[in-house]
Amino acid sequence: MHELMNTAREALHLLVSLDPALWEIIGVSFRVSLTAILVALPPSLLIALLLARVAFPGRWFAISLVNTFMAVPTVVVGLVLFMLLSRSGPLGELRLLFTQRAMILGQILLAMPVLTAMLHSTLQSIDQRAWETARQLGAGWWQSLWVLIREARFGVIAAVLAAFGRIIAEVGSAVMIGGNIEHFTRTITTAIALETLKGEFAQGLALGLVLLLLALVLNVLLGVMRGRGHQTVSV
Amino acid sequence: MLEVSHLAHGFDRQPALWDIPYLYWQGRSLVHLRGDNGSGKTTLLRLLAGLEAPRQGTIHWTLAGAMSAVTPPCPGRVLYLHQQPYLFDTSVAGNLRYVARWHGWRGEMARDRVAAMLEHCGLAAHAEQRARSLSGGERMRLALARAWLLSPRVLLLDEPTASLDRQAIADVSALISSLHEVGCAIVLSAHQPSVLTERCDEYWSLEQRCLQVSAFKQGVAV
Repeated sequence: MHELMNTAREALHLLVSLDPALWEIIGVSFRVSLTAILVALPPSLLIALLLARVAFPGRWFAISLVNTFMAVPTVVVGLVLFMLLSRSGPLGELRLLFTQRAMILGQILLAMPVLTAMLHSTLQSIDQRAWETARQLGAGWWQSLWVLIREARFGVIAAVLAAFGRIIAEVGSAVMIGGNIEHFTRTITTAIALETLKGEFAQGLALGLVLLLLALVLNVLLGVMRGRGHQTVSV
Repeated sequence: MLEVSHLAHGFDRQPALWDIPYLYWQGRSLVHLRGDNGSGKTTLLRLLAGLEAPRQGTIHWTLAGAMSAVTPPCPGRVLYLHQQPYLFDTSVAGNLRYVARWHGWRGEMARDRVAAMLEHCGLAAHAEQRARSLSGGERMRLALARAWLLSPRVLLLDEPTASLDRQAIADVSALISSLHEVGCAIVLSAHQPSVLTERCDEYWSLEQRCLQVSAFKQGVAV
């Protein structure tokens, strides 16, 4: 118990003293995950709109597929990307393995099903009259689309927060295709795994605290967004 | 001017709600569309607005200033207002600003038009209030103001005074009458006779799967 308290104290000290090694890892994590979300959002939005608003054969199968991809373990995504990006793989020429770009690619694949499923559900709940009203009042196709997204803004933000929470906390694909290289591809989760194996619990715990804090912030924000969304629907 | 021929519509594989062999309307009057629940009043209005495609038949609008007849939709010119109008999740003025933006009105011109319309419709005091917090009557007035901003040729109103109290009915009716006086043709569906339906100079009745058209002159059907 005494040792645990000492480790916790040391972890807090590392955080508040702005330990450069620690904050570098946090920086890499946020950079990779934020880039992945920004890249994943537009195609996810488009697919979600298609699934929510356009009737086509096989639509329900496509929705089931998206929901299934949400449950794919991160190590499986890591494994598939590793095979594709390794020297002997079909995309080996791109030399992406063990780079931040590869990690971003992995996180895009993990974020897209979450984003698409949540955005689909949000856009489906938007009243059909919103589109009809905008079109009748003279809005163009893109303008009407923008109105729909704006009407669904709280749901869109909630989807982004949920997807961000998933990818920043994943370790499977990050360690397999990032390689956990110091000063380059080491993220919060891969560093925690490494430090624990080395017996350096303080840094691992400090990074774990960052993730916990992030989870708290994301959940509070999600709660606020859900509340606003419900308020929007109910009035 | 509206010209409809051989119009029939129904849902899925069910028989057609009604069959309208021919309908010609000058597009100037205030029309009361009557019919029982489920007789297809809303469907007819939505078809005329181009929000749905008919199962059979044609609809053509020839609007003032246009060279030829067009098939709906005619955005900004023939407008359908839902029974519960959809208000965008922004302020009262914001709802009108959307319309201004879509039509390329900018700066002072847009501000002046929006302000004048809010004033005219008695909503100036609510300009920055959230649109969805308005009462039923105010919501309908805002929807009418938003439409009026475009000076439409025809308004198709689906039960505009349903579930409103007496004062709200009077306010909404006055606004609809004003719109008609400035040259907007109106077709409104309503179950119950009201101060508004009494002002109508023509009525269309959906009965036994047919559309009966009558004109009123000083309270007498001709």
